[in-house]
Amino acid sequence: MDYALDSIFDPDKKRWSVSIVGEVDIFNSADMKKSLTELINQKNTDMVLDCKYLDYIDSTALGALVGVLKHVKSYGGSIYLRNVKPSLSKLFKITNLDKVFLMEGEDDNGSK
Amino acid sequence: MAVNNVEQDCIQLSLPLNAAYVSAARLTASSVANRMGFSTDEIEDIKAAVSEACTFVIRKAPANASENFLIQFHMSGDIMTVNIQARGELRQEADEMSLIMIKALMNQLTIEIENDETVLYMTKSHTKSLFI
Repeated sequence: MDYALDSIFDPDKKRWSVSIVGEVDIFNSADMKKSLTELINQKNTDMVLDCKYLDYIDSTALGALVGVLKHVKSYGGSIYLRNVKPSLSKLFKITNLDKVFLMEGEDDNGSK
Repeated sequence: MAVNNVEQDCIQLSLPLNAAYVSAARLTASSVANRMGFSTDEIEDIKAAVSEACTFVIRKAPANASENFLIQFHMSGDIMTVNIQARGELRQEADEMSLIMIKALMNQLTIEIENDETVLYMTKSHTKSLFI
């Protein structure tokens, strides 16, 4: 099982909106980091990661996201994680990364 | 589905030290845990812990290592024990994220390093039995 990124730039909110689909682990986390970094290199804006269809994320993928977040924070931006499944939000909590990323639920529109 | 035929069984998986096959370990872990009657949440915990153990072994393996590593799933009543055995002395660092996750997800994690071999032992038991 692999993963896919579906990205679009939202010109109204001036930020990247990216849907992560599938499973991200040691096999493809570096690829995910590269793809997300390319996006923020194109436009230095906030990024919303929709995890509704994200089935699994491992420690290397969490590390990759932290790497991207560092880059985003370097220009004063933020990363929002939306619709993270309970089994995966548990992994963010265990690693204390729920305090590092801005976690949003199903009903939030990310306008905060 | 009947689960009374898995009392003392063992399933063994031999995988190359290649990140491409960690998903195979997750699928097997998920299937075995499901057959043992673990809850959906517990199955996710076991799946993630097994995945992290494989990631640990693959990341720590010496660059020239070519031997497969072994994963054994021991089923004993309500308890699943997973042994992950790899060649080499795989030393852990203090803040190893994989191991922090395994410790939080499983009931127990022990690592033994001996005779150029590292074995990670981890166990998980049904929590639901506490409530019946």
